[in-house]
Formats: sequence, C-alpha cells, structure tokens
Amino acid sequence: MNNLNIIIGREVKERVAKKSFIFTTLLTPLFMILLMALPSLIMLFSHGSKQKIVTIDKSELVLPALLKEAQDNELVAIVPAKSGATQQELIHDENYDGVLVIGPDIVSNPSNVTLYSRESSTMDVKDAVSSTVAEVVREQRMKKYNVEDIDRLLADSRVSVDIKEVRVDEEGNESDSSSTLAMALGFIMTFMLYTFLLLYGQMVMNSIIEEKNNRVLELMVSSVKPIQLMLGKIIGVGLVALIQIVVWAILVCAFVAMVMPLLIPADIATDMAAMQAGTFNAASSDVSTEMLTAISTFSNVGYLASIFGYLALFMVGGFLFYASIFAAIGASVDNAQDASNLTTFATIPIIFGLVFGMMAFQDPNSTAVIWMSMIPFTSPMVMIARIPFDIAQWQIWLSFAILIASFVGMAWFAGKVYRIGIFMYGKKPTVKDIIRWARYK
Amino acid sequence: MNIIEVHGVSKQYSSHKALDNVSLEIPAGSVYGLLGPNGAGKTTLIRIINHITAPDSGQVLFDGHPLVAEDVVNIGYLPEERGLYKKMKVGDQALFFAKLKGLKTREAETQLRAWFEKFGISDWWNKKVEELSKGMAQKVQFIVTVLHRPKLLIFDEPFSGFDPINAELLKNEILQLRDEGATVIFSTHNMESVEALCDNFTLINRSRNILSGNVAEIRREMGKNHYRLSFQGDADKLIQTLGPSIRNYNMSAPEQTESGIIYNSEFTLNPDVTMHDFIQAANDTVEIVTFDRALPSMNEIFIRTVENYNNPAPFASAISNQ
Repeated sequence: MNNLNIIIGREVKERVAKKSFIFTTLLTPLFMILLMALPSLIMLFSHGSKQKIVTIDKSELVLPALLKEAQDNELVAIVPAKSGATQQELIHDENYDGVLVIGPDIVSNPSNVTLYSRESSTMDVKDAVSSTVAEVVREQRMKKYNVEDIDRLLADSRVSVDIKEVRVDEEGNESDSSSTLAMALGFIMTFMLYTFLLLYGQMVMNSIIEEKNNRVLELMVSSVKPIQLMLGKIIGVGLVALIQIVVWAILVCAFVAMVMPLLIPADIATDMAAMQAGTFNAASSDVSTEMLTAISTFSNVGYLASIFGYLALFMVGGFLFYASIFAAIGASVDNAQDASNLTTFATIPIIFGLVFGMMAFQDPNSTAVIWMSMIPFTSPMVMIARIPFDIAQWQIWLSFAILIASFVGMAWFAGKVYRIGIFMYGKKPTVKDIIRWARYK
Repeated sequence: MNIIEVHGVSKQYSSHKALDNVSLEIPAGSVYGLLGPNGAGKTTLIRIINHITAPDSGQVLFDGHPLVAEDVVNIGYLPEERGLYKKMKVGDQALFFAKLKGLKTREAETQLRAWFEKFGISDWWNKKVEELSKGMAQKVQFIVTVLHRPKLLIFDEPFSGFDPINAELLKNEILQLRDEGATVIFSTHNMESVEALCDNFTLINRSRNILSGNVAEIRREMGKNHYRLSFQGDADKLIQTLGPSIRNYNMSAPEQTESGIIYNSEFTLNPDVTMHDFIQAANDTVEIVTFDRALPSMNEIFIRTVENYNNPAPFASAISNQ
C-alpha cells in the first residue's frame, strides 16, 4: 500500500510539474471562455460594418416599417433612397452594399421585391426584408376590409411566440429545460470526455512502453509488485487528469461568479431576474426565452459545478476502465508501432461512445441509448451526454457502479497481462498470446 | 545457515521449460556465482528468488522460511538490463527507489549523500539522468541496489559497462558488503571474476543445475589427474612410456632456453593412475624441470561441463584444443 502511494506520488509529481501541463491547464479554460464569448465579440466589432441597403419604395407603404425593423438589426442598415436617384446610379454607388427595390403593386403582388447587390447578400438581409414586407402586406390587405379599430387590432395581434419548455419528471416536479442548451452542454462534455479518455489513456500506454523500453521496470519490479506498478501508473495519471478538470471547473466557476455579472447587459439581467421570479414576459423582451435560459444556466455557478462534478465522476470511471486496457496493451508491446494495431481495441469503443453520445441528443431516453449508457465501453460518453437532459438519478448511479465494477474486472485481467508482458521483448504479441499470458500462474 | 534454499523448482513458459527441477543452497555471508550459458534459465531463477515470478512447482526458502513478498525489502537486485527514468533528476530518482525499499525520506537522503560522496558523484544530484553516461547511470543503479543494506544482494553482470578503475571500485564495495554480513549472488559470464570473488557457484545449463559446489573444491576435483609438466629430454619417449595411462595431452613446441631445450606439456591421465605413478614414469624417462597440478580455470570448467552435458558421447576435451 505504501509502495502504491510512492508510485502514485511520482507519477503525479513528474507530470504536474511539467511546464506543458501547467500551460494547457491554465490556458484551456481561457480559450474556452474566449470561444464562448466569441459570438458576442464578433457582434460587437461588426457594428461598424453593417450592410447598408438603400431602398427605393415605389409603393411608399413598406419603407417606414422596414426602417423601424432595421433599427434593432445588428447586421443590416436600411437607408431610404434620395428622391430623383435612379436605380442604376444607386447600384453603382460604392457607398451602398445593395439596392432594394419594392414594386408599386407590392400589396397585390408581394413577390415584386428585388434586392440588387454586388456580393451575394446574407441570409439576415433577406430574412429581415421578407418578414417585414410580409407583415406590411398582411396589414395593408387587412385594412381593406374596413374593420373598426383596425390599427389597435393589428397592434394587439403582433405577437412573438417563444416556447418555454418545462420538463416534468416522474415525481411530477417541474424544471426549466431547454433542449438546445442540454444538447450544447452534453456535446461539450461528451467531447471533453472523449478527448480525455483518448489522451490520458494513451499517456498511460506510452509511458508503460517507455518504462519497458528503457528497462527501468526491471529495476522497479524487485521492489514493487507488478500489479502495484500498474495501478500506481493508472491512478497517478488519473489523478493528473482529475486535477486538470478540477482546475478548469474552479476557473470557469470563478469566472462565471465574478466576471459574468459584469458582462451581462442590464436589460438582460432584469429579464433574468424576472424569469427567476416567474414574471417574465417574452413578448415585452427582445431576448428569446431560449437565449435567456441559456445565459442564466451558464451563469448559475451551482449548476455548472454539478455538471463538472458529473464530468469528473464519469471521467474517473471511464478513465480507470480504459486505462486498464491501455496498460495491458502498453505492457505487451515493445514500441508504439507495434501498439497501433492493438490500440484499436481501446479506441474503437471510445469512438463508438462518442457516436452513441451524439445519438443521445436526439432521444436521450430511447432504449438503445439507455443500454449504451450502461455498458461500460460506451457508458461514460453516452451517460455524460444524457445528464443535461435531467434523466433519472438511479440510472446515473447504476451506470457509474457498473463502470467501477468493470474497471475492477478489467484491472484484474490487465494486471495478469502486465505481469508477464513487461518481461516479453522482441516478438510482437497477438491477442491470443495476451490471453494466454493472463492464464499463467 | 543458508540464506536461500531452492528445492526442486520448475518453471514452464508455454512451449519452453525455463527451469527444470533446480535445487541449490546459498550459504549466508558468502559470494555465490550463478553461471550458465545465455538462455539457460539464470534470469528466471533470479526472478523467482526475487519474488517477481512464482515457480510452477518446488519451493524457495529465504532465511529458513518460505519466501514471501515482504522478503524483497531484504533483497537488493541489480538486473542485467536496467534503466532509470531519463527525465528525472538523479537525486530524486535515487530517493524514489530508496523509498520503495522502505527507507524513510530523511534517512534515505543522508545515506544517499554519503554514497554519492564515496563514489565522487555528489554534483550529479540535481542532474537529469539523460545527461549521464551509461557508466555514470550504472553507479547510481548500484547505489540504489545496496542502499537499504539488504541481507541478500543479487548482481547480474554488475561490471559490464564499467572501466577497469570503476570495476575495481565496485568489486571492493561488493566484497566489503559481504564482509559486513551480506550474501551476494553474482551472475556473470566473466569467469575470472568468479575465481576472484565467488566462494561457491552453480552452473545452470538447459534449465538444469548441472554443477554446484565450492569453487576451490570443484577446481581441485576437476584438476584431478591433470598435471602440468616442463621437462628436458625426449618427448616422444615420455609419451610412449606413459602410453595407455594418458587420456589427453597437450605438448608445446620445444623452447630454447639457456639451460637447453624445454618442453611445456599438460597431461590428463586416466582415473586409476596416481600422481606417484606419473612422476615416477616421467622421472625415469626425462629430466623434470617443473611439475604442477594444473587447476583448471573456471572458464575451462564452464566450457568442459557444458559441452560434456550437451554432448555426452565421447570425451570432448576443451583443454587439448587450447
């Protein structure tokens, strides 16, 4: 037991003290935060480069509504054409990115709208124009029916619908939930887990190959039992991975708790407070419910911490299981080239895990996905993909228990292979050889 | 008192039998040579004594009791193929290995500093192993092996990679450790060092123990009826006179000296011929200059025993070919 601690201590110390580890651990969250903030940063900087669309409104009905709509638009600026300017002149005017011509018969012929531009216009311009034109045309057509109080009626009928999703669990508890958000979170975590398992799993394998190659193992086995050596390596590298996750969790949570409130604009903060109080009215706000849920979830430190907690849990479970496989492979071969064939036994299931994790986003509670989140080979990735969808707790813990039990079994097998494999040089072993080693006394 | 007793140990690796019913006894406080051709099974036996692998059958006693995992803290093993962590600092690494052998950090550091001082390598403490030469790294490995003062030391080719000065330094350290009470198992292909260092030895060939015993006794035993004779006179006549009692002989070309022509010869005689008979016959025929019992070197014993074992039919003498 004492020797195991000494081995683990060395593994952790040698890795954590490396400059490369310190850099990636500290810089990755920074990079992640930058990536999260990138869309809003782009919006911020693209303010000056709005697409300027000059509009000739021959119907003289659409332009006022279009101007109003464009006020809030981040990407498109609508400019009325100067009287007397011809279409040809405007098209060749370098000051404008495009010319919008609305036909005089727009109400009877809504397709009589043309957008001339030098570059192909973005979807945003088209969307903004077409929805506004449709709105104006609809109102104009309605007005023809001479309904009383038509203006008030129309104003009242301008609604924007945002579906607020509430998930009800088996006990009837309601919780806010947004499937897009769950998907995004699940995706980030599944992908992180996938990367961690591959990177750190192969780190275990390569470091065993290296120890075997430079024959330091020969010196070690006279003091330490091979199984202790192997477990020490696996646990040590696992602790390094855990340290990295915990540092990231702390950095991200600290960022969210201290910096995020300063970054969120005041009106969104009010909306968020309103939403938490249950008085939020989507129609009166220019932010969608979805967006607001996302922002409030991402700025909820407790929730983020719990997500990181689950990530750490399944990272540890999945790592222990897969690292045992990688350790057995590393002990069996002499060099990385020989390992490449055998590694597929570990990498293919990990990739499957990622694929099934993606499947889980479509239907997190389908039978196939539930099974995949229980089978140890795919369970870490699939389970972590399902967790943001508020699945039943017992499934999470059952999956984790199966994973740990499988680790014990796999470590037992790997230990048997390791014990023989580390003294085998030269011949590249087949799977059959490896299984035979496991049977040796 | 034997520190190690191996009783009928066998070990099978799939199609290959690494050890076949091997028994031997290693007296405490001695230097014990473990000899044998490459692939004979020495390393497997050492690994079994080290509790690295378990025998399929048979038993190993350590200090009188069946060998258990805890005994390894009383063993220091320097394997033939050995390495250190390249990226780790020398001092940290030595401490790491010392702690694995059960030493406390502070105690280990004091002793390590003393050893580093003794070997003149104190300024390597903070160097990375990859900066050291092979011989330097081997000094560190030697220190790590003996640091915890084990009762039993196992050295597998300890001198390979050392220059003669450092090899001598190492040899003296090994002998001193023995004088302080440690038992040393010494596996090597260098037969001269066996003669110089070992009290007893075992020769393992093709997975079996084919010869065991005290170095001096075995040499005497194997040297029986083996004589070295320098003489003046008629060489042909001598051979004729000895005739049927010669099993094997080797005659040098005549050598011209101040006192005349001298022949140097070696004779192996049949077992029923006594030394007395031989001297008498020689004395009657030629003029004896020197007469000597020829103790075979360990090298000769090794080759003769192994070849006899592998090739038991006629007496294939290694000596006559020299």
